[in-house]
Amino acid sequence: MKPRIDWPAAQTVAGAFRLALPRAPIGGRLGERLGSGTGSSLEFQEYRPYTPGDDLRHVDWAAYARSEVLAVRLYREEVAPRIDLVFDVSRSMTVTGEKSSAYGELAALLACASASAEANARVITCPGEPHPLFRPEEIERLLDCDAKISALEESRVPFRRGSLRVVVSDFLFPHDADALVGRLSRGGAWLSIVQLTLREESEPTVEGGRRLIDVEGRGELDLLIDEKAVEDYRARFSRLRRGLSVAARRAGANFAHVVAGTPMRQVARALAAAGVLEPL
Amino acid sequence: MMFTSPLGLLALLAIPAIIAIHLFRRRFPPRPVAGLFLWQIARQTPEGGGKISKLPITASLILECLTALALALILAGARIRPAGISEHLVALLDDSASMSASSSAGNSQGESPRARAVRRVLAEIDRLGSNARVTLVLSGERPSVLLGPAARAIEARPALEKWKPEAPHHSFALGLRLARELAGRSGRLMALSDSPPELAGGGKATPEVEGVVWVAVGEPLNNVGITAAQRTISPQDGKGAVSLTLANFADSPAHRRLTLKAGDQELSARDIELAPGTSSVNLPLPTGLPAVRIALSEDALQRDNEVVLVEPRLQEVAIENHLPDGRGRQALSKALGVLSGVTAAAHGHLAFVPAAELDRPASPGVWRVGFGRGSSTLTAPGEPQDFIGPFVPEKRDPLMEGVTLSGVVWTGASPLAAGVHPLVSAGDRPLIVLLGPRPESGILFNLDLERTNLVRAPDWPILISNLVEMRRQSLPGPERWNYRVGEWVRVRLGRDPKGPLRFRCGEIERTLPAG
Repeated sequence: MKPRIDWPAAQTVAGAFRLALPRAPIGGRLGERLGSGTGSSLEFQEYRPYTPGDDLRHVDWAAYARSEVLAVRLYREEVAPRIDLVFDVSRSMTVTGEKSSAYGELAALLACASASAEANARVITCPGEPHPLFRPEEIERLLDCDAKISALEESRVPFRRGSLRVVVSDFLFPHDADALVGRLSRGGAWLSIVQLTLREESEPTVEGGRRLIDVEGRGELDLLIDEKAVEDYRARFSRLRRGLSVAARRAGANFAHVVAGTPMRQVARALAAAGVLEPL
Repeated sequence: MMFTSPLGLLALLAIPAIIAIHLFRRRFPPRPVAGLFLWQIARQTPEGGGKISKLPITASLILECLTALALALILAGARIRPAGISEHLVALLDDSASMSASSSAGNSQGESPRARAVRRVLAEIDRLGSNARVTLVLSGERPSVLLGPAARAIEARPALEKWKPEAPHHSFALGLRLARELAGRSGRLMALSDSPPELAGGGKATPEVEGVVWVAVGEPLNNVGITAAQRTISPQDGKGAVSLTLANFADSPAHRRLTLKAGDQELSARDIELAPGTSSVNLPLPTGLPAVRIALSEDALQRDNEVVLVEPRLQEVAIENHLPDGRGRQALSKALGVLSGVTAAAHGHLAFVPAAELDRPASPGVWRVGFGRGSSTLTAPGEPQDFIGPFVPEKRDPLMEGVTLSGVVWTGASPLAAGVHPLVSAGDRPLIVLLGPRPESGILFNLDLERTNLVRAPDWPILISNLVEMRRQSLPGPERWNYRVGEWVRVRLGRDPKGPLRFRCGEIERTLPAG
């Protein structure tokens, strides 16, 4: 099932935000962002003695006149950051129409924000080859939520080293938050975790007897959803979310929880508040 | 708790069926979820198929089980029986009039057996408690239920207060049978009578009274009663008389005063001495008097001390004698002459005619009796024969009552056509026949009166008397003029009534139901 995306609305909201990149120098291919290495930008970095083969245009002749020592001016490199957008395409992300719509809006918002960041973005939905993202609209064909398992549950996620990582999932699968976040952040320059859930997934209410069917085929359960069951569920969900939040904080990552049905502009503000996005 | 239909408890099988349905059937509406593990600690696998899971105690399950339980209890006829109350008292009450006897001379100091029976039943009900169930059965001529079946104890006292034993006869055996049926297996059966079981049960103490608590509430009392009474008018001299049958139930002679009153006027009063047992008294009585009240002086049982007799009005039967002069006509006139309530008339109720006239249409209300050889439509080809027997009479017919035809020579019996109803036959030859199913159609004496010796035999006046009485019984009016209490009064109507019939007795007047 593919989420339906209202692109005009998403582009309107995303026009005011971009992906929040770290202040520290980052790596990447030639681009418009200052990199961590030496490059050809206009920002002066340091001097170093001339060695044969250096570009004579970078010799500081004025300094040579004062000290008779050939010194070469080094400038900071400008890079295009590598962004890995990880989208959970398991069936749980489209368990209802509301969640599917919210997922589409969130994915479009992040795709647009990545584009605004002038980054080298890729989309990871499965353990296989990632998909380069040249235009935000391409995200729509990639979000076919029919997998029985989330890519996050796989032991290897094809991240690029030093990439900026944005992970979107409901995280409604059994996991160890510290191990999961550690695996997601390992080798990366920056990590943002966005958890998307329905209101009834985060704050269920008393419904009476229900036959609960896991959309990913993890079982069925006849359950009387009464006060006690709701209370137990909320406690477990709260532990899950708090675990993710704490683990993200330990790893220096950002964590945001989005509830489906929230207007897209409010979602963007919440993501900005969590450090996932930044206003332009 | 009691169950009147225990088989209804089979409906309880619906409860395990409901539970099984709830166990195996997916009754909850499905709801897709993203993280089933958050709803449970130990995750369940769906591949089990048919796996028995923990029974969900839902409102639906509880209501369905309660409904099945209620239906089962209704079908089983459950009745709540409070703790300690398990008795259903069935009391059979002697409804004979003797239960009302009382005398200050006995040990009871004027208390009747009825009062003692009531007190005993109420004491038993008090012992069983207010939640006991009570059934009261009366042993009249036909047993009846005074209260119940299984009425509440509080209803017993008003019912007993209304009880007035006054039946002239009663059958305790029939009452016991009804009481046993009402008591069933769990009921406590109590019989209350003024007689001991061997007398009340007709001398058969067992097994009729097995399992019955017999309470004899009577005591020996001297009693004289009128057991039969008849008021007659002599047909010969037209004088009236009263015949009484008196019974002295004591062991010693009794002295009583016998009084006859017509309205407020005392006609006669005499002291009589009655030996133990039954005796008769005949009293002359002028004719033309209204209802006469005959009373004995007071004793233990007042009810059998008094009778009221009205003067009987004899139904006159008008006779037409169209027989030709001769031996037969004379014999008929002689036989009719000794009968009472018979008058000669041109248009009567009973006509004696030659058999040949039976073909003609009869006047309304006239029974015709023909003698001699019938017309060609009634007879068959053949010569008349004489018979000296044996005669085969139809004994059940009232015409043949007391008739033997012993020594009779039946002469001139012609062969008769088919379709008649023989009352007397000799061989295959009918001698006395009904021309139709009822006497109104005509009666044929296939007999030559001039030659037979029947007219000199004792059977002749008996036959004529039977004919007259048969006709008299069919005349409009009551069968008799005086009846016992509780006896059926049968009245024959001359024609179909155009409106509802009304019964009047003194100041009592009632409209009889139609039909």
